[in-house]
Amino acid sequence: MRGTNSTRHCNCVFYSDWHRTKRPKLANEGGILPGVSRAMSPVPPSVDSSSNGTPFTSPRNTLASGSGVVVAVGDATSHSIAALLQTQTISTSPSPLQTSSTGLPFDEEAKLVYGVILSLRNMIKRLSGRDEQFVNYRTSAYKLHLYETMSGYKFVMLSDPLTDSLRFVLRSIHSGPFLEYVVRNPLVSMDSREKGIDNEYFRASVDRLVRGLSVFN
Amino acid sequence: MATTSKQYKAIGEDLWKGRTEKIVRANPVLSTIFPESPHLGLTIAQNAELFTLTYGALVVQLIQDYEDYAEVNKQLEKMGYNIGTRLIEDFLAKSNIGRCADFRETGEVVAKVGFKSFLNITPTVIHSAPAVPPSNRPNSPATPSPASTANPSFSLTFDENPLTEFVELPDEALEGGLWFSNVLCGVIRGALEMIQMQVQAEFVSDVLRGDETTEMRVKLIKYLEEEVPVGED
Repeated sequence: MRGTNSTRHCNCVFYSDWHRTKRPKLANEGGILPGVSRAMSPVPPSVDSSSNGTPFTSPRNTLASGSGVVVAVGDATSHSIAALLQTQTISTSPSPLQTSSTGLPFDEEAKLVYGVILSLRNMIKRLSGRDEQFVNYRTSAYKLHLYETMSGYKFVMLSDPLTDSLRFVLRSIHSGPFLEYVVRNPLVSMDSREKGIDNEYFRASVDRLVRGLSVFN
Repeated sequence: MATTSKQYKAIGEDLWKGRTEKIVRANPVLSTIFPESPHLGLTIAQNAELFTLTYGALVVQLIQDYEDYAEVNKQLEKMGYNIGTRLIEDFLAKSNIGRCADFRETGEVVAKVGFKSFLNITPTVIHSAPAVPPSNRPNSPATPSPASTANPSFSLTFDENPLTEFVELPDEALEGGLWFSNVLCGVIRGALEMIQMQVQAEFVSDVLRGDETTEMRVKLIKYLEEEVPVGED
């Protein structure tokens, strides 16, 4: 790990989902940053966290902030709209839910996603040079869209495989809610290894933006 | 390269107009006062004054708090760094400019698009890529010339500086070595670092200090490579 301030990491700092076939398992302790997503955080060992007022309290108050973090460049922001719109999603209480078909906890899913993106990106850069960009890939079950800024932020969206490219959506998330509520907000750290983007306005405006899409549902 | 330079100027101009247009349109009072935009300049002038006064108050407060001009310089630079890391996102989102081919182009974009779109000034850019002198000593056969660590750099010369509109430095500040606009150095360092360039930016002269011009030198230290997570590749 280099000593400069520019090292950025590959942790997921935001997650939100709208429709998903099966919920992923809750993240392991220490695997996920606080504030990323209430639904995905591990169940707190004690019930004391319920005494705090805000709905996005970190359940990880007892853990050291450095645990379980993979350090690398490339701040990953993930949004998921998964295929085959079925059950309603964001639950407010992190109770154990049916596990996903892959059986992976959320933080490992996030790492997988990041690994896939990084490898694909590197491969494409080697094949075609610096100017080409990895845009999206599609499987029979889902389509993954990526928008990466020059400053290293990665915006990922998963959707139904029949959707057209949602890159413009990711771009508008970057120029809209991200710029307004994260970049322009001095209290939200741009480069945090210890905390997700736990911002009510950001969450709400992303939600609004996505729900307002024509492809949504 | 002349055409690209003109294109950058045009982009900077558009971004500046777009920004101010938004401020006026978003404000219900201002947009009724200025239904069309011919007098937009007036609102900008008022915003600029507020900005200048705010910055001046900030520097004064820092001087009172730290009482050491070198420390104040450092703090201004640090503040600028934090501003720069965020400003670059704004810039990238609004301007859509792709990656620069080389550091020379970076200098052009910073001066013509960057400064223009945020501060409505266009500093003059002078590039310099120091070359390695050829070694012509006959007694040393096959001495490899030193690896050309040519650190390219560019200088920005500010004809006008909105931060220093009403400012005159007192003697202690002059003796103490205060660089009044040092925040700009930090902004450039922070912004470029987010796009994988490590640079060193510093003022070499300042009209406030009695010099002829206000000049900032930006030197490229190195390009930063992305790190891969532990255990991969």
